[in-house]
Amino acid sequence: MVALSELASVLRSKNAGALLCTLDLMFEDVATYERVRDSGVINPELIASLYHVSQNEVSIIPYDVAMAIKVTVPRLVPSGSFGDTDVYGSQQHGPLLTIEIPD
Amino acid sequence: MSDSLSMMATTGLLGYGFGEEAFRYGLEMDLDFIAADAGSMDPGPHYLGEGVPFVSRKAIKRDIGLMLEGALEKGIPMLIGSAGGSGSAPQVALVREVVEEIAAERGYHFKMAIIHADQSKEYLHAKLKAGKIEPLGPIDDVTPHTIEETHRVVAMMGVEPFQQALKDGAQVVLAGRATDASIYSAIPLMRGYDPGLVWHLSKIVECAGAVAVPKSGQDCMIGILKPDHFLVVPAHPDVRCTRMSVAAHTLYENPSPYHLIEPDGTVVTVDSTYEQFDERTVKVAGSRFEHSNRYTVKLEGVRRAGYRTVFMAGARDPGLIAIIDDYIESCRARVRQQVAALGIGEDQYKLNVHVYGKSGTMASREPIQDAVPHEVGILAEVLADDEETSKAVMAMARLALLHSDFPGRKCISGNLAIPFSPSDIPVGQTYEFNLWHIMEIADPLEPFPIEMVDV
Repeated sequence: MVALSELASVLRSKNAGALLCTLDLMFEDVATYERVRDSGVINPELIASLYHVSQNEVSIIPYDVAMAIKVTVPRLVPSGSFGDTDVYGSQQHGPLLTIEIPD
Repeated sequence: MSDSLSMMATTGLLGYGFGEEAFRYGLEMDLDFIAADAGSMDPGPHYLGEGVPFVSRKAIKRDIGLMLEGALEKGIPMLIGSAGGSGSAPQVALVREVVEEIAAERGYHFKMAIIHADQSKEYLHAKLKAGKIEPLGPIDDVTPHTIEETHRVVAMMGVEPFQQALKDGAQVVLAGRATDASIYSAIPLMRGYDPGLVWHLSKIVECAGAVAVPKSGQDCMIGILKPDHFLVVPAHPDVRCTRMSVAAHTLYENPSPYHLIEPDGTVVTVDSTYEQFDERTVKVAGSRFEHSNRYTVKLEGVRRAGYRTVFMAGARDPGLIAIIDDYIESCRARVRQQVAALGIGEDQYKLNVHVYGKSGTMASREPIQDAVPHEVGILAEVLADDEETSKAVMAMARLALLHSDFPGRKCISGNLAIPFSPSDIPVGQTYEFNLWHIMEIADPLEPFPIEMVDV
């Protein structure tokens, strides 16, 4: 098992509008990308549990041409509303770092 | 249609700057127009609420000054979208003032179009009644009450208002809220280029230097449209685009890299091909545009959320840090009691206490629950309908956080290190997004009045 933080070259989060947070997992080479993509580990069940949302609110899109996996979840509250902690949504990738990918 | 059309995106955000050297290289590339997007909702609802930019007036003036000089020298159109950040009336007015100031200082003369994007409550009520407004993502349906409590609302224009302004003879177009890609798509679509290629190229160049490597600040970007493909290349010869930097760009800030939604349809990149054309240039082909059977514009609106007061402090006592969540709960109860004595009820304020070092960044989504840091940062915020109440509640919250007892307490002269005097910082009226919806319209020009001025 290897942590996703060791396999990905980019692990970032950002608002996709004021209501959604989108997370990009990007890889340096096809083999690593396909290893993660095909592991099945990055699935709606896992993302839903990490971000405390329901599975039908999770979108996961593999993007082969850029060797990237895009994950989108609702924000905790709309950007800038009372209780928000991250107006730009730039530091919401933490729970992804320790995801274990099988060998 | 000529066999080639060239555009330059000077910067991904007007006022963030661009390299003058890159700009001058770009100007010599036989351009059909130059443009810049000035908009972003990333900084949150405040800027639309107050009608102010999130960059400085000086920075706007510097960027626009160079662009005006270039556009007039080459005799080509210059387009600005989402002027002032959110593209609302006071923001557009500010940028217009800057343009007119530069023109007066330098003796420039040109025809300018100002395109407005603010929406009236009457118009929105009518659209709501006709069933033409629906949510864009996880947000409540609009009701008449939603519209009534809206403080300011803009709609995002497509290409048509830009095109009308150009047909009316404008050389400079200063538009309110617009989709980023419309700014760049307006002219190529007028000239008959393939909409799939046009919209996809526009989505890439609108962030200017975002697709350049290395990131040097020399970030003007050139887009060249051909009948069956397009090319993307940085203006400055020291930077380049790579196949990967361009392909990866459709990921940015979008929920899907394959489907990018615009007012009259969707850009589909499923079959797009990306090829390294030369060392600095990427060639893209195969992008499609699927026309929608209706025309929709996005609404962005804010309502007043109340007056915020904030308070920051550090906690360094291990006994307190060990029980910090319980401690904060007990402080909240104390605040409740003490403000009640001032005649402030529980429903008249909101109090939130962020604990940096534990969950300040991710709040309830923080996966690490058992962290025991040696110090934590406390950020308390109060929201209330008026500033006096907001400050009164914060004064009590500060007192409670500083001087409440906890089991085993030894630091009995105060639980927090407060870095500033004054400690409580009123930040004024705050706003929250209440409209993040799409509105169907029959005429793409209707909600976007165009004003022509001779500068």
